[in-house]
Amino acid sequence: MQKESKMEAPRIGVFVCECGSQGSIIDVDDLTRYATTLPNVVYAEHMNYPCSSQGQEEIIDAIKKRRLNRVVVAGCSPRLYEPVFRRCVFRAGLNPFLFEMANIREFSLYCHRNTPEEAAEKAKDLVKMAVAKARLLEPLQPIELPVTKKVMVVGGGIAGISAALDLADMGFKVYLVEKTETIGGHMALLDKTFPTLDCSICIEGPKMVDVGRHPNIDIMSYADVLEVDGYVGNFEVKIRKNPRYIIAANCTGCGECRDACPIEYPNPSDMKLGVRKAISVPFDQAVPLIYTINKDYCIECYKCVDACGARQAINFDQKPEEIEANVGAIVVAIGYEMYNPEDMECYGYGKYENVFTALEFERLILAAGPTGGKVIRASDGQKPHSVAFIQCVGSRDINRYEYCSGFCCMYTLKHAVMLKEKYKDDVEVYVFYNDMRSNFKGYEEFFNRAQKSGVNFIRVNLENRRITEESETKNLMVYAETEDGKPVEAEAEMVVLANAAVPVQNATELAKILKIPIGANRFFVECQPKIRPNETDTPGIFLAGACQGLRDIPYCVAHGSGAAAQAAAILGKSKWIVEPLVARVNEDLCSGCGICESVCSYDAVRIEETAGKKLAKVTEGLCRGCGICGAACPVGAIKMPQYTKEQVVAQVRAVLEEVR
Amino acid sequence: MPLKTVKTDTAEALTLEWILHVRNYKLTLDKNLCVGCQICALACPKEAIKLEKQPKIPGEKAKHAKIDIDLEKCNFCAICDILCPYGAIKVTVNGEHLLSVVEKESFPQLIRDIQVDTSKCPVDCVECEEACPLDLIKVTRLTADKKIVEDADSLSEKEKSELQVKIDIQEERCPCCRICEFNCPEGVLTVRKIFHGKINIHAGKCPEGCTDCLDVCPITGALYLSDDKVYVNEMFCVYCGACKIVCPVEEALELKRTMIRHTSVRSGAWNKALERLASPVEMTKELKTKGSLKARESVRKRLGWKGT
Ligand SMILES: Cc1cc2nc3c(=O)[nH]c(=O)nc-3n(C[C@H](O)[C@H](O)[C@H](O)COP(=O)(O)OP(=O)(O)OC[C@H]3O[C@@H](n4cnc5c(N)ncnc54)[C@H](O)[C@@H]3O)c2cc1C
Repeated sequence: MQKESKMEAPRIGVFVCECGSQGSIIDVDDLTRYATTLPNVVYAEHMNYPCSSQGQEEIIDAIKKRRLNRVVVAGCSPRLYEPVFRRCVFRAGLNPFLFEMANIREFSLYCHRNTPEEAAEKAKDLVKMAVAKARLLEPLQPIELPVTKKVMVVGGGIAGISAALDLADMGFKVYLVEKTETIGGHMALLDKTFPTLDCSICIEGPKMVDVGRHPNIDIMSYADVLEVDGYVGNFEVKIRKNPRYIIAANCTGCGECRDACPIEYPNPSDMKLGVRKAISVPFDQAVPLIYTINKDYCIECYKCVDACGARQAINFDQKPEEIEANVGAIVVAIGYEMYNPEDMECYGYGKYENVFTALEFERLILAAGPTGGKVIRASDGQKPHSVAFIQCVGSRDINRYEYCSGFCCMYTLKHAVMLKEKYKDDVEVYVFYNDMRSNFKGYEEFFNRAQKSGVNFIRVNLENRRITEESETKNLMVYAETEDGKPVEAEAEMVVLANAAVPVQNATELAKILKIPIGANRFFVECQPKIRPNETDTPGIFLAGACQGLRDIPYCVAHGSGAAAQAAAILGKSKWIVEPLVARVNEDLCSGCGICESVCSYDAVRIEETAGKKLAKVTEGLCRGCGICGAACPVGAIKMPQYTKEQVVAQVRAVLEEVR
Repeated sequence: MPLKTVKTDTAEALTLEWILHVRNYKLTLDKNLCVGCQICALACPKEAIKLEKQPKIPGEKAKHAKIDIDLEKCNFCAICDILCPYGAIKVTVNGEHLLSVVEKESFPQLIRDIQVDTSKCPVDCVECEEACPLDLIKVTRLTADKKIVEDADSLSEKEKSELQVKIDIQEERCPCCRICEFNCPEGVLTVRKIFHGKINIHAGKCPEGCTDCLDVCPITGALYLSDDKVYVNEMFCVYCGACKIVCPVEEALELKRTMIRHTSVRSGAWNKALERLASPVEMTKELKTKGSLKARESVRKRLGWKGT
């Protein structure tokens, strides 16, 4: 039902939005009147909300009544509203690409708020340019891409687990790639979870087992993503499984090899407070339950081989294995790491034996932890009678991590309550905080519970905090100042620091492999912070969990499911439709010189030889329509639809024209 | 508290430590006991031990090599502790000298076979004590009621005849050179060597007047000087290799270990250590003996055959 508008003379309609402060600063009447004076404009009007359903109906009406074949809306940012109006003109029977937007809100109103005259003038220029371009718009047909109904989830923390399970339940094949030996992430290391204080591994463990048993999920643990090529619906990924020196299919997880092994090394899952064997699993609930030999420590006595016996699961010559797979979408859920506060000397971490980080404390109080759940000091192995928690160590610090780490207030409340409930009056608990951030369901109530349990909350400044050690008792003196500058101090037998959570070390490397942007703070950048928090700039690649921004477990689970739903929206289709705004090569003009290939950052243009002739070929799924190749082509053989040379020149001419 | 890995190097000792919240691993090298031989460096499965040759100062005696241990590579397995013939290295866990590799039968212990029969000792003989090049032997005389006698001459003949002789040997530091055995006039001591082997000095290849090997040899008498040339007395050599390290000419000194007396064990780590300490040939030999022993064992079990 689309009209072929190319043949007809342009009949342009201009719709000026008056919402927000636009109407009050720019004279929309005048702007509308001005629009009618422009060539080929047959209709112009201003309205309150063109984007509302009523506004859209009015536009459709006008298109039909006035036989418009080009539409210009002067209003907001096209990034948000262009898709809305494209659908609107399509409903009126026009090709969706016969639409153009003049962004008067950002380019006129926002930049010239205090000089209404200039704002008005610029708005006119913008409308004039849009009309000039609209005159030359051509109808375009959307591009259809095939879709591989499989997905890769990178990172097996609670966010990745949630995404993987949802996708697998919807019937898609999932490759869950985890860097370490087991899935579970940080949640698997925690003792209890706020605000309900249920046992962390007891609620995550069953989910981990579900992942391990799901027929649609293939866990690739102890693995790295090496390469990602292709585009939405059609990614080609290369994954390396690192050698565990164990034949997974033969390992029953019995642990007899571990019992036979004479060598121990510091266990990273215990924050190196305790040890694990050179052949072992990081913790008992590991999924997959496959043992790993750490060759950095193993002395190759082969006692494990003897212990394993007929099962023959041990292979000291195992090599890394590279696996290639095709997937239609990717979910990135690589989580976070903890900042090592050793460089903040004022806290004495690493120097004073009885100063711990929060995650170390989590392992101390955990019954299955290295001390069997006994909170004990490093200096004398005794239970402390007073514990001080210090908030915002490294976070909310413009010299380190400016952001708030988000979950520290809550886990500190959790630690304080657990200590109080475990040791009652036998322990005095101090919390040195600056702001208490307990702003989700049930959190403020939990803060109240902590206050009632007898925890001492001391509100202090973020600056001028200091810890010293009493050399004899190894007790710690905490010095800080209240908001009005008064000094406060407390003696504690143990100090626990709420150190900042930070992006994982390898995030930058993974961002490069995936070709997705990473922020200045090294968290992955979402496509749009408010309404597209799961998407990246690359179609088909989604974010889940703390790698996009720090968040707690319930939020990670929801975010993981969100990413899964969005990935499913692609995987569920037989064809994925993308906008036809990709480079087009005029094969008659192309000389195959290859300049375009050399400037393309997305590997979308390649020179290929067909029938003895070298020609530039565009992979539509990869092209982002940036236009660099078009600008670089010396013979003008590459055209960018919607940004053709003629259209851009017409816009420039329009704005430089002196007389109106 | 984060894991602390600490290395301290003083004139007396080199100490490596892993300090974890619940455990403390410590390796101590007693520099006064170390003779700079190559045994630990060769045996270390992590190649964490390096020998550093000391520069020769003209006119002075050669100094034995020093050992350095890489904290990054050491895993506190205690193989160096087990194999050091001079007992210079100790590995402890939480202060206790527990050898997990021995307990789990993944590494053998050296056999220091030293037999002493003091019943034959003359009461005033201290030959062994004086002969021991490492000062490991202490001879004491006890009265019938187990009192230590300092000065035997002051006793009456009768009292003298009732005296008992006691010989204390610090076995864990003894490389089993047999010098005490050879100096004993009465055949009280029998010592079997730990390391067996072959050592040769090709005097023709020795630099004029060089006595570096002799300078560093901890066993007095294993090497000796005659006509300005160093000769070997294989009887006393313990095949530790301290001499080989300092020898300035590649082929002048040949040293080969052919056998190491150790408790029985089935372990890849030991096979590798043996291969490096002796040679692949010796390792295969040992494996073969083990193999034939095992075969004999199974035949015996099945047929009730008692072969020799
Ligand atoms: C001390 C402490 C206590 C806490 N207590 C609570 C609590 O009680 N309640 C609560 O709601 N929240 C709590 N939190 C927060 C909670 O830990 C996080 O919200 C949650 O674990 C984040 O999950 P995630 O899946 O996004 O990331 P993670 O748990 O970090 O998982 C990420 C996974 O990705 C893997 N990975 C990393 N890089 C790669 C790569 N390149 N390729 C493949 N895999 C990779 C990691 O190995 C890991 O398995 C606490 C945090 C701390 C520090």
